[in-house]
Amino acid sequence: MDANPIVLDDAPGDVVVVVVEGEHDIYTAPTLRERLGEAIGRGGGIVVDLTGATFVDSSVLGALLDARRRALDSSKGFVVCVGQTVEPGVQRILDITGLVPILPVVTGRDTAIDAARATPNGAGE
Amino acid sequence: MSPAPDVRMTLPARAEGVAVVRQALAGMADALDVDAAVLADMKMAVSEACTNVVVHAYEDADGMLEVDMSADELGLTIRVRDHGSGIQPQVRSRDVPALGLGLPLIAALSDAFELQGGTDQGTEVKMTFSYARESDPAEANPVTGTVGNDGRWDSDASRGTPAG
Repeated sequence: MDANPIVLDDAPGDVVVVVVEGEHDIYTAPTLRERLGEAIGRGGGIVVDLTGATFVDSSVLGALLDARRRALDSSKGFVVCVGQTVEPGVQRILDITGLVPILPVVTGRDTAIDAARATPNGAGE
Repeated sequence: MSPAPDVRMTLPARAEGVAVVRQALAGMADALDVDAAVLADMKMAVSEACTNVVVHAYEDADGMLEVDMSADELGLTIRVRDHGSGIQPQVRSRDVPALGLGLPLIAALSDAFELQGGTDQGTEVKMTFSYARESDPAEANPVTGTVGNDGRWDSDASRGTPAG
């Protein structure tokens, strides 16, 4: 069993959720890029759910920012979400890079799905 | 002369090794009863330093990543070292696109930070973390800028105008 899974959940129908759990860095960033590419290829909006993530580094942020650009270039919504409680290894890098409003990052998967559906710019609008 | 390190790791400079270094650091921090927030900063900074070695130090050649962790009564000093091509932060790997945030993050997350090396002399990043912080180092050395139109970090860009 993969301790740091990245899986696609297309249950919402018109939005694909990329569920990222565990620790992610330069080793898993290529897999994340692949999954994000699959999600963008399926059409509809994209949500990246970091609720179960315990650590992400700048390699992961790079993958998220590239995917965001590709999604917006294709007029798809792109939103990142976290849970009510966020691990320090995730919250800290989001805070000090100022990327919360840019990616954007919202609290809760349902909120993120609605935002990704509503507009190509998600909750940043 | 530096005191003998409490932990010394030498491992191939490959992506899968970065998590191994984090695990060793977490074990050492646990023994030292380090605050969770400080540990999170340590893990992030060390990961970024190791990632720099993996991505930049040896280009397509094999090489080694060295990590020393040394504790005293005030804090933990971590050195991340390579014997590669030296400080060339703008080099981009074909396989692992770099955002260019590594060094700004290390500066923001550590209580003290030194970078030594030169072309073909290898590079050493020395980071010191205090157990009891008087202030947040990210306030003294904030990460400035935002992501630019080329997808890399632009330290001079205003955060008020994110590139879409």
